[in-house]
Amino acid sequence: MKERNFFNVVTVAIIALWLLIFAFIPNIMMFIISFFERSETGFFDVAFTLDNYKSFFSSLYFQVLFNSFKMATITTALVLLIGYPFAYILARSNFKYKSLLAILVIIPYWTSALIRTYAIKVLLTTNGIINTTLETVGIIDAPLNLLYTEGAVILGLVYTLLPFMILPLYATIDKLDVRYLEAAGDLGASRFKVFTYIIIPLTVPGIIAGCLLVFLPSLGLFYIPDILGGAKNLLIGNLIKDQFLLARNWPFGSAVSNLLMIIMAFMLFAYYKSAKKINSKVL
Amino acid sequence: MSEKYLKNIYLWMVYLFLYIPLFILIFLSFNSSRYGTSIGEFTLEWYVKLFDNKGLVEASLNSFILAISVATIATVIGTLASVSIFRFNFFGKNFLLTLIYVVLMSPDIVMGISLLILFLVIDLPLGFTTLLITHVTFSLPFVVIALFSRLAGFDKNIIEAAKDLGADSLKTFWYIILPSILPAVVAGWLLSFTISMDDSIGSFFTTGPGFEVLPLKIYSMVRLGVTPEVNALSTIIFGLSFILIVISQILLRDKTKTKFK
Amino acid sequence: MKKQYLLVLLLVAFSVLTISGCKKKNKEVVNVFNWAEYISEDILEDFEKETGIEVVYSTYDSNESMYSKVKLLKGSGYDLIFPSTYYIAKMIKDGLLAPMDLSKLPNVKEIDKALLNQSYDKGNKYSIPFMWGITGIAVNSKFINPDNVTSWKDLWDAEYKGKVIVQNDIREVFHIGLTSLGYSGNSTNPKEIEEAYNELVKLYPSIRLFNSDSPKVPLLNEEVYIGLVWGGEVFMAAKENPDIKFIYPEEGAIGWGDCYAIPVGAENSENAYKLINYLLRPDISARISEEYGYASPSPKSREFLPKDIAESAILYPSQEEMNKIEFQNDVLESIIVYEKYWEQLKTVN
Repeated sequence: MKERNFFNVVTVAIIALWLLIFAFIPNIMMFIISFFERSETGFFDVAFTLDNYKSFFSSLYFQVLFNSFKMATITTALVLLIGYPFAYILARSNFKYKSLLAILVIIPYWTSALIRTYAIKVLLTTNGIINTTLETVGIIDAPLNLLYTEGAVILGLVYTLLPFMILPLYATIDKLDVRYLEAAGDLGASRFKVFTYIIIPLTVPGIIAGCLLVFLPSLGLFYIPDILGGAKNLLIGNLIKDQFLLARNWPFGSAVSNLLMIIMAFMLFAYYKSAKKINSKVL
Repeated sequence: MSEKYLKNIYLWMVYLFLYIPLFILIFLSFNSSRYGTSIGEFTLEWYVKLFDNKGLVEASLNSFILAISVATIATVIGTLASVSIFRFNFFGKNFLLTLIYVVLMSPDIVMGISLLILFLVIDLPLGFTTLLITHVTFSLPFVVIALFSRLAGFDKNIIEAAKDLGADSLKTFWYIILPSILPAVVAGWLLSFTISMDDSIGSFFTTGPGFEVLPLKIYSMVRLGVTPEVNALSTIIFGLSFILIVISQILLRDKTKTKFK
Repeated sequence: MKKQYLLVLLLVAFSVLTISGCKKKNKEVVNVFNWAEYISEDILEDFEKETGIEVVYSTYDSNESMYSKVKLLKGSGYDLIFPSTYYIAKMIKDGLLAPMDLSKLPNVKEIDKALLNQSYDKGNKYSIPFMWGITGIAVNSKFINPDNVTSWKDLWDAEYKGKVIVQNDIREVFHIGLTSLGYSGNSTNPKEIEEAYNELVKLYPSIRLFNSDSPKVPLLNEEVYIGLVWGGEVFMAAKENPDIKFIYPEEGAIGWGDCYAIPVGAENSENAYKLINYLLRPDISARISEEYGYASPSPKSREFLPKDIAESAILYPSQEEMNKIEFQNDVLESIIVYEKYWEQLKTVN
């Protein structure tokens, strides 16, 4: 701890204070509210109860949870599958304007998210671009129902979250030490082996960062299931929003949000445990 | 040769995927069909209407100023803190990291409502400041996580070496650490800027009358139907950011080149 | 390198200063809280020119979010809000609305008597109608013969499977379930709500989408052929595609309205009255009505409207239809029962 100097103390103190005031206090507030009762006239009554947690344990909400995690997992997997090769090729290329190309990934995202979702809708609609093209070419006779399906929701999620995978991956792959790869090649490792045993393990921090930044937000993006999926299935983000606004049931809404956080924290913990085990075996 | 060719094709395909919705937007902004349901004639009507729409233009300017401030503040706080957190162990480190994940996991509406309650309790007038605080809070996890992925595996010996040569903390940070993590810092800034430009629910609860931001305004149009002026606006935003970024990158590149010559 | 950072810092400092400097305290203002673009910019500018009062326009996306925010702020911050009929009763009960002083609103005389004194606010003590409309059945006559459709029950017809649109609105969807069984659309009886739910479960497979925005687009795109749609939207859609027709269900259309209301904590209520009175003027009300295809509460405003709007049977129902309309009202605590079945409807199926 000899390095506790002014610079470090100040920089850590700023973020610690910030998060304490603007993240910890609000979340504790909501945590406490989740043990209160719903109120007819206010948003909650100060009276201790565990009912909000109990009522979550029903097949209905497990189904909601299952559907949401399914969507989030498929989205994250697809985003990783598309984003990793992209980030890899771009980061290891020798283009003149490499960093410009990386920034160009996110520029479309500076327009409104809602408006881009509408644009995807235009693409998928019955007489939209995809259907018209397929019909003209003669692949299909009647327009396909592309919009208001699970596939449309996943497409929307993948599109919206792709840069959140690409940028952290790019930043990680970009620093990859070429000498490792050359050494492995000199030792006769095949390119496949170099990739699986050297490149992937070295870029794991980037993969984890990308997956976190995609998986967690994808559970909360309620407007994409609403607009592209026709709001036909309830996902956890919509559930929490409806409980807070429509049913005016803050205690239950915060209980759901807390449970969601606990489940995700547990998953993260289990992941880190297993990752450590694997690493210690390899090393 | 053919492999390089394939790689380039893949890159361009992903870029196409990323930009197709933009092309549709740009097309719609010049299309006379009001609801975008058919292909009409070329028109500049929506652009003319946009410039008459004081509220929409003002909200975009507000959003731009807000997003730049948010991204800059979040990146500065997040970068400095990440480096210190990465380098040193201190009491409560795990707690701090947990808080970062908590922010990322909390649904926007939960954060929005609870922050509003907090602002009301501490009697902070709702407006630019409260929005800034909210968006910086939302952005911090993105900056920190992006930074951590780059810092992982960073050789701490280099820092020690710098120290031995007499560099103080600030100098070490500025001349040794920052240059090697710069791509992640830029990524953090870009992600924060995007978060701020896109947040509607959090903004709804934490802004006050008189400071309207674009994502909120567009989100509130949904019931009555989003007007085509918004397509025109999005086209302009896209065009401006595209041109600005390209120019700044080319200028920056020229500068670094001459520097190293 | 350092210069660039300094530049960014300066930019931030500058922007913070300009924004905080922008707020002029000495000017008369009225803080309006409404759906985005519900009153067009030029009307607000005309009002500013006429009275010198600056309109500060803030937006919300739903009654629910507006209610939560106004309630959290204890009715302060905004001077004029536009809750829908079914939120008026709730907000009155919560003590969030200030009583209206009708003596400051001479133009109230312009409002159709049939729209005043409704169950959600007897005697209009707290609210005045702003815009109103009806929800009925939209049909695309290219695919479905409009003569075969007379009642909400027709939506259940197996023929239309996968081609039905409803609004992503808990109250409207349950309204058709309830009224098709002969109950009130504002029912607070859990048994009736459950029965309606059982009917809706049968409707669910036919539903192509629960629409979250303006429903004319899926109709025009021929994604859906039939469904529950606001009259104004059908009117606008029919202008682009004359095949789209509107049908009054025999159970009676659903009536909805957005109203002027002043929150208890309003600081500029005098200016709010001036704005309400201005917007109530038939010529101004006509301009808003023309823009969105919703009905103006003032009969005289029709003189200022193009003929097709003023004489539209979709926007202005006949007396006979008018008598059958049921306006949406607050369902009190039964909203939890509705919400529970709404979640089930969207999850179990």
